[in-house]
Amino acid sequence: MMPGLKLGLGIVGSVAAALLGIAMLSNFEMPGQQITVQRGFRGVAMETNYNPVQLAKYVAENKVPASLPQLPATGPKAGQVYKNVLVLGELSVGQFTRLMVSITNWVSPKQGCAYCHNTNNMAEDTYYTKIVARRMLQMTQNINANWAPHVAPAGVTCYTCHRGNNVPNYIWWKDEGPTPNKGGALEVSMGQNRASTSVGNSSLPYDPFTPMLEGDYPIRQQGETALPNGNRHSIKETEWTYALMIHFAQSLGVNCTYCHNSRAFGDWSQSAPQRVTAWHGIRMVRDINLEYMDPLQGVFPVSRLGTSGDSPKVACATCHQGVFKPLYGVNMVDAFPELKVVGQQAGLVQTSLMVVNPGVYPAGAQATPRMKPTPIN
Amino acid sequence: MAEYQNIFTRVQVRGPVYAGVPVTETSWTRSGKPFYIHLFGMLGDAQVGPIYLGITGIASLICGFIAFEIIGLNMWASVNWDIVQFIRQLPWLALEPPAPAYGLRIPPLAEGGWWLMAGFFLTVSIALWWVRVYQRAKSLGMGSHVAWAFGAAIWLYIVLGFIRPILMGSWSEAVPFGIFPHLDWTAAFSIRYGNLFYNPFHMLSIVFLYGSVLLFAMHSATVLATTRYGAERELEQIVDRGTAFERGSLFWRWTMGWCASAESIHRWAWWFAVLTPITGGIGILLTGTVVDNWFLWGVKHGIAADYPAVWGVVADPALTLPGAVK
Amino acid sequence: MAMMNFEEKYRVRGGTLVGGDLFDFWVGAFYVGFFGVTTIFFSLLGTTLIIYGAAIGPTWNLWRINIAPPDLSYGLGFAPLKEGGLWQVITICAVGAFVSWALRQVEISRKLGMNLHVPIAFSVAIFAYVSLEVIRPVLMGAWGHGFPYGILSHLDWVSNTGYQYLHFHYNPAHMLAVTFFFTTTLALSLHGALVLSAANPPKGQVVKTAEHENTFFRDTIGWSIGTLGIHRLGLFLALSAGFWSAVCIIISGPFWTRGWPEWWGWWLNLPIWKQ
Repeated sequence: MMPGLKLGLGIVGSVAAALLGIAMLSNFEMPGQQITVQRGFRGVAMETNYNPVQLAKYVAENKVPASLPQLPATGPKAGQVYKNVLVLGELSVGQFTRLMVSITNWVSPKQGCAYCHNTNNMAEDTYYTKIVARRMLQMTQNINANWAPHVAPAGVTCYTCHRGNNVPNYIWWKDEGPTPNKGGALEVSMGQNRASTSVGNSSLPYDPFTPMLEGDYPIRQQGETALPNGNRHSIKETEWTYALMIHFAQSLGVNCTYCHNSRAFGDWSQSAPQRVTAWHGIRMVRDINLEYMDPLQGVFPVSRLGTSGDSPKVACATCHQGVFKPLYGVNMVDAFPELKVVGQQAGLVQTSLMVVNPGVYPAGAQATPRMKPTPIN
Repeated sequence: MAEYQNIFTRVQVRGPVYAGVPVTETSWTRSGKPFYIHLFGMLGDAQVGPIYLGITGIASLICGFIAFEIIGLNMWASVNWDIVQFIRQLPWLALEPPAPAYGLRIPPLAEGGWWLMAGFFLTVSIALWWVRVYQRAKSLGMGSHVAWAFGAAIWLYIVLGFIRPILMGSWSEAVPFGIFPHLDWTAAFSIRYGNLFYNPFHMLSIVFLYGSVLLFAMHSATVLATTRYGAERELEQIVDRGTAFERGSLFWRWTMGWCASAESIHRWAWWFAVLTPITGGIGILLTGTVVDNWFLWGVKHGIAADYPAVWGVVADPALTLPGAVK
Repeated sequence: MAMMNFEEKYRVRGGTLVGGDLFDFWVGAFYVGFFGVTTIFFSLLGTTLIIYGAAIGPTWNLWRINIAPPDLSYGLGFAPLKEGGLWQVITICAVGAFVSWALRQVEISRKLGMNLHVPIAFSVAIFAYVSLEVIRPVLMGAWGHGFPYGILSHLDWVSNTGYQYLHFHYNPAHMLAVTFFFTTTLALSLHGALVLSAANPPKGQVVKTAEHENTFFRDTIGWSIGTLGIHRLGLFLALSAGFWSAVCIIISGPFWTRGWPEWWGWWLNLPIWKQ
């Protein structure tokens, strides 16, 4: 080898190593700042760790906007005064308008009413957004009325997911992987073994959501007896559950020991009460996806659908957004009692699931956030 | 301190290269002209080569290379042949075993068949290498201790990739070929079977693993501390004990009341190192076949510690809610 | 007096660090020394306290005995004896006993005209223990972060501490440490086997030489590290295992609070290929 080449390679190598080293080391957090909350008995190490800098960021991001003053139920009903009011007809006009303005603040602050309405004919179902919003109002009512074991007493409003965005930041679609290799000679994608932010940068299965938060694939894998007793769950299935659990942890900004004593993950008597809340949360998310999100697939324009043509769907992060209780448990919904009771029947809404101008986008709509189901820095 | 600690060799002596102990009855002769690498000489022996190739050696390398290529090319294909993504995601990529639905049948190539083939070639490569290691010792008139130590490691490998999957009735239980993915497998294995810390053979294996590290530190440090008396010449010290091992032995006798000898310390070493994969393999083999939940096994045998309750009663909502699905 | 047949000539005075001739004697095969006395003191006290801790606990079952550190709320202060204070005193005794043992090894090495590799190597192990029970708790602001004294309970601590970071296998220092652990075991098996195979040839053959050892490895893998080199390598591998283990737990908490897989974002998001 030429002497100059050896020296040159040495210099290039050293610089590259130094840069990589700097990148790697600057990734760490400053020492000794962490805050730890003990949750279990001393010495068991069931603890939650927080970095104050990140915590401050989350606190800033989870400020609840002020609600407009409530209005009385007096005066004519919205359903009598306005046309094509299928969901909130029993509200007074004042209350109805107040809610509409609030929704605009929560979902489309920049586009205003025009995000859902044709401002020349407010009653017309011009855009798909009006259909979706109608269904989501019913969804919100359902969550608050029927899923109290998970969301009470804080409850949810549109803001809980949308946070001022047309489309919530943390949603998911079915993910078959960038290179399914279907029909090829080499190994097909088995749904895992690539770096995925959806599972916190691990190589675990990157879409545990489709089977477990849309479908009802069993999440429990462990046996309940010491000796084998018919439990045929596989190691692979356990990896899928593990992937889902990593999503849970990152969505809430906690770790596995928040709910579990890892010496016996399955044992409820050694688990924290939050695990029960999570159990209800899983069923709530499945209900939302199956009853509300999936049926809207024909309503959404293609740009809002996934690569498999499926609806956007919700997971834990959609509401929690990295925090153990959405918006730190601050109650917004008590100021909007109409969102806490189930209103008119769903059937009425189904008949109007037809958009006047299919595929017409309201002006100035935000782009769809792509494939970020889990908050990760 | 200003004293020389014998960590690196300061002065390297060069003589003619050593062609190796002459052997007569081998089918091959040694290949390669031996040469010196100064950097190697700073730590150990500077001479590189000659090497004995041999039929089993070459066959082993070929089979190993085939396995390596099957794994690597499948990984590369999984990122659509994008070389940048291949380098970027390499630690995450893998060649995965077949789905559980295939049981022990041979799956299509693209759905686990490549994994099976890679596993086959890797196993053949390892078996051929075992034969090589055995034959080289025999041909030099030495005992076969290295081969049998290697056998212990092969036991663990065969348990993980072959015996246990067969007992469980599914290739899907075996380990994927991939850096991070095989760690995912390890964690999932422990989660599925009720926390492997409660598996007594896992405990034993760890004892031998940590013990091996402890022993190598103790033995190496003792030898290095007495190299001024020639302690590294261990064979001579075995047959004709000199002041090196006399001092070394007395060090341990005075420290902990007992000592090994020049030969027996190597027996301790061999057994601790070899028992690590042997007990580990037994622990893997018993998991899922004989025991389904190691924590519950621990409770059953009275070894699980009791912790005072911190929360109230937390009950399984699937049991308490009517009609609830688990 | 129980002595090896070559031992007497080595039993000379000298080599002590502290105390001169006062404790420079043997009890049976054991050398005492000043640090032998301190070792006995700390060990007896610590062991008695462990037994006391078991006595005030719910069980005498060896596997289930648990002496737990204090609640985090006590911070770096002293906790009441029965609320973790016992754990604290036992930890002090442990550190005292381990350091005494190492210093006693120094005295014995000096007496035997040996270098100090053994006590230095042992110090790395002590460093690993101190990292877990002192350095990391201090960095995190509470003694309660140390692991409990109990056979199965300390494993529960390991399991839960690992899952606090979601998937501890992704901790890069842990990967290094595990690799060093396994490589040490591999190298130990090879070294033990090689020496034994030369000293224990097949029946009827003569004991072999270092040339045979070298030839075996040159034949098999093309290079032999040699009799001196293998001991340098072995010590390096073993001490690296202990060192990186200590590093891996010190960085978990004080230097990183999230899941360990997430740490790899620095590699995945390098500017040259950021997605």
